[in-house]
Amino acid sequence: MASFARSSLVRQSLAANRSPLLRQNVGVSQVVAFHASARKQILPPLPLNDPVPTPAPHPVEGSYHWTFERAVSVGLIPLTIAPFAAGSLNPVMDAVLCTLLVAHSHVGFQAAIIDYFRPQRVPKFSSFCHWLLRAFTLTTAVGLYEFETNDVGVTEALRRIWNA
Amino acid sequence: MASLRTTSRLFAASRPLFRPASFARTYATVDSNVSETPKMKTFKIYRWNPDTPTEKPTMQSYELDLNKTGPMMLDALIRIKNELDPTLTFRRSCREGICGSCAMNIDGVNTLACLCRIPTETTKESRIYPLPHTYVVKDLVPDLTLFYKQYKSIKPYLQRDTPTADGLENRQSPEDRRKLDGLYECILCACCSTSCPSYWWNQEEYLGPAILLQSYRWLVDSRDEKTAERKAALDNSMSVYRCHTILNCTRTCPKGLNPGRAIAETKKMLAA
Repeated sequence: MASFARSSLVRQSLAANRSPLLRQNVGVSQVVAFHASARKQILPPLPLNDPVPTPAPHPVEGSYHWTFERAVSVGLIPLTIAPFAAGSLNPVMDAVLCTLLVAHSHVGFQAAIIDYFRPQRVPKFSSFCHWLLRAFTLTTAVGLYEFETNDVGVTEALRRIWNA
Repeated sequence: MASLRTTSRLFAASRPLFRPASFARTYATVDSNVSETPKMKTFKIYRWNPDTPTEKPTMQSYELDLNKTGPMMLDALIRIKNELDPTLTFRRSCREGICGSCAMNIDGVNTLACLCRIPTETTKESRIYPLPHTYVVKDLVPDLTLFYKQYKSIKPYLQRDTPTADGLENRQSPEDRRKLDGLYECILCACCSTSCPSYWWNQEEYLGPAILLQSYRWLVDSRDEKTAERKAALDNSMSVYRCHTILNCTRTCPKGLNPGRAIAETKKMLAA
């Protein structure tokens, strides 16, 4: 904080002391080059002693989302092992497995987008990533549905690859 | 780090309990009878001066004789400031790990300089930086404004509406008191928060391990009556759930606390 206040002070005093002769020498291009980086408010606004604002409660993005994510992750463990351990090929089990897989990967990628592309910093790119992810998830879901109904299905395909 | 500290404690225990008075030494004195060969060690320290903002930060080297320096990194820093370069700037106060002022990044680990032994290996230099991903005020002094603003936002004080039956203090059973062990010891040195990648990326909204540990300290306090409000304040996408259990916080804590566990317990409380 102090550093910024000081640098702006220095700049002001420099501007005040600058003689007309000196001002002529400083070309526009030099000034532009000096201010190459964008002016951004990088520190929290004053007053300094106020707490950061508390966001409104949003359980769908908070606790419910976390519980759902954990339930899906835990549910995937038996569902991944069961078909191969039991040796049975149940289409309902296959469908549940595919649904959970799609949900699990969607939630995982969503977390990565929220982490790395904040709407405050890159608003357009952030929403673009979210829509791209939705498109990919939908495509995957449709593709898996086609694979399950018109072909052998995920479990059987994996078994054939394993035995090949 | 942890192993270093344990051995140091073992050494301390194996020293004679009572020494003759002639050998009594106080803090930061130097034994003038040392006749060993000098053990010169290089310290590379991050320097940046706000008075010359256009100059880029640099690493400055200092050489100290370890035989004439105290055992801790803070001793070395104080000696550099006293004897080699008075312009070196850092925060320190208690020199015994209870104030949290001298938190800095030493040899790649966020820790308190006063609790960090100087590695006796003299062939390798020690590198000292300010806490990572903080705005630097000068040299090793980071700007912790946002950190304190976030601490204030979790209302770190007892909130009660009902008075006690006898009008005296709010009493607590020993079991309830025991829940606060491992939480109340936090000195808010910001070592854990500034070691957390999630906090590096999203510190504007994510509260970070130190603040969440404090928040959990008030969530489990049996005397506090605003638990529901405290939970509601955390129940959103950013405040808690940017924690991905990386556990850098637990690994780096110079007080040996476990912010990762506190965050996990907070998540469980919110889910229940």
